[in-house]
Amino acid sequence: MNTLEPPPVALEDFDVSTIVQHDRVHGSVYTSPEIFQRELDTIFRRGWVYVAHESEVSEPGDYLTRRIGTDPVVIAHGRDGEVRVLLNRCTHRANKLCNAEKGSASSFRCPYHGWTFSNTGALSAVPMREGYGETFQKVRSELGLAAAPRVQSYRGFIFASLAAEGISLTEHLGRATDAIDRLLALSPTGTIDLRANWMKHHHRANWKMVVENNVDGYHALFTHASVYDAIRPAKVSHIPSKVDVVVRDMGGGHSEIDYSAEYRKLDEEFVWYGRMPRTKLPKYIAALESKYGPQKTHDSLVVGPPHTLIWPNLFLAEMNIMYVEPIAPDETIAYTTAALFPGQDELNQRTLRRAEGAMGPAGFLIADDGEIGMRNQAGLAARKPDWLRLARGIETDVTDETGIVNSDKSAETPQRGFYRQWASVVGGEAEQ
Amino acid sequence: MTTAQASTENATLRPSRLPDPEIEAFLYLEARLADEARYSEWESLWADDALYWVPMNPDDDPSVNLAYIYDNRHRIKSRVAQLNTGNRHSQTPPSVMRRMLGNMEILDESSDAVTVGSNFALFEYRYSQRIWAGRVIHKVRRTDAGLWLVAKTVHLVSAGGPVETLAFLI
Repeated sequence: MNTLEPPPVALEDFDVSTIVQHDRVHGSVYTSPEIFQRELDTIFRRGWVYVAHESEVSEPGDYLTRRIGTDPVVIAHGRDGEVRVLLNRCTHRANKLCNAEKGSASSFRCPYHGWTFSNTGALSAVPMREGYGETFQKVRSELGLAAAPRVQSYRGFIFASLAAEGISLTEHLGRATDAIDRLLALSPTGTIDLRANWMKHHHRANWKMVVENNVDGYHALFTHASVYDAIRPAKVSHIPSKVDVVVRDMGGGHSEIDYSAEYRKLDEEFVWYGRMPRTKLPKYIAALESKYGPQKTHDSLVVGPPHTLIWPNLFLAEMNIMYVEPIAPDETIAYTTAALFPGQDELNQRTLRRAEGAMGPAGFLIADDGEIGMRNQAGLAARKPDWLRLARGIETDVTDETGIVNSDKSAETPQRGFYRQWASVVGGEAEQ
Repeated sequence: MTTAQASTENATLRPSRLPDPEIEAFLYLEARLADEARYSEWESLWADDALYWVPMNPDDDPSVNLAYIYDNRHRIKSRVAQLNTGNRHSQTPPSVMRRMLGNMEILDESSDAVTVGSNFALFEYRYSQRIWAGRVIHKVRRTDAGLWLVAKTVHLVSAGGPVETLAFLI
């Protein structure tokens, strides 16, 4: 097998404090090709990155093609039962080996010269092997597909790291597992299914613009005013002084907007799901109560799903899942699907329709977020002022056992947490 | 749209009949209203049991698959209401558009409805020009009160994505 070594990152002559400070980010963080390359080499080629969900590769042979940063990978459920993350490149002369988005195969055959790799990554066949003479066995043993050295999952969410050494997934996720648990508490099986299709939305903005906006509690009143004006009021007010909604820097770059205190105060189920009366979903309610009991079910249905960014590329968007792939400093692809619950067809159809309404390139919300991100990127072409300001609420942040919390949902606490992690990782400090 | 799907549309390999000029003119009107961002007038073409669908794959089943757009009449109304605020940032200002409908054929016909399949090409300008193309299938109902658009399905050539923002009326 090919051993992956993380790329060297030159840290001399690089002082991250010249581009990220506790309350501000330099414009070049979103525009510089050199900084973009540093992000690929540090965040995406060393640390844990979300790659896929177990429901997408549930059977031996199932595979998906994705990217970690800009590296193409195949997530393959091997014939031996192990799910691997293989670099999608023939080890002979670099042809991209697997070109379908998904499928099932026991092996991958390179169309260029016919080299064949098992779905475990091992090189299984080389046509006309005698051309290698005595060295063939050595060639064969050395030229298996390169694989991500660390692949682990948490309750179905598969993460990978392209570096052999580093912290465990548990350490990486830290408090973010609470958010995954919060989502799965709404599923009667404790699992989700992410096979409904991924919307692939091309954003003309830096990848960080796309993800940090997801936990921005300040923009909705303005960016999404057209939804509230024309269609329906927001689920709860977006005016911070009127609601018990908090923003939270959970540490490790993870952050969220947490509606749970407001929802508990209302003590009303499904506020987060169009205030649907529970009588409309009797089968779902019965399944939840049978699994978790009436009290826990009521609480889960009051509190609802998470609105949480898991560093660096996964967003638990309430009943949707989004992840991003950085393409270039000013280009990102956002992938979005609905979180479906096994066996709950009636609920799932509603969830699909809600996802189409809100998310993706035609969504009532995300189309406008995409536009704002693009204009942000366009604005950065003006080189003054040097910095983007993230100081909102900095004096009212409070540290508690859940992280750094601000009871003003418009505070930029999540963004400050994101960039503290960013500076630590890109600056070469953080263990990943 | 896959080759296989195209062949099931016309399994007999005989040329289809062409829509009559009244239907053809109705589809051109629908295209022109969408192009010119005349949202409320466009909305007024739709029947109460409307379905406006832009799937990600031609064979998708909406009961289990996510689409780019899957609007019933109520959601069409919401989509238009949002556009009409003038504050739908991704269409402020609206895209400048012109689309061509061609290769129109009748796919199905009943006593009160006709289904027409066409190819389309759409030129969209907003900061820069984008080209969208695909297969569009319209179902139109004939009534004493005139023609109503019952269903519009748009199979984008680029449906596999990634796609740019699609906030205009495709």
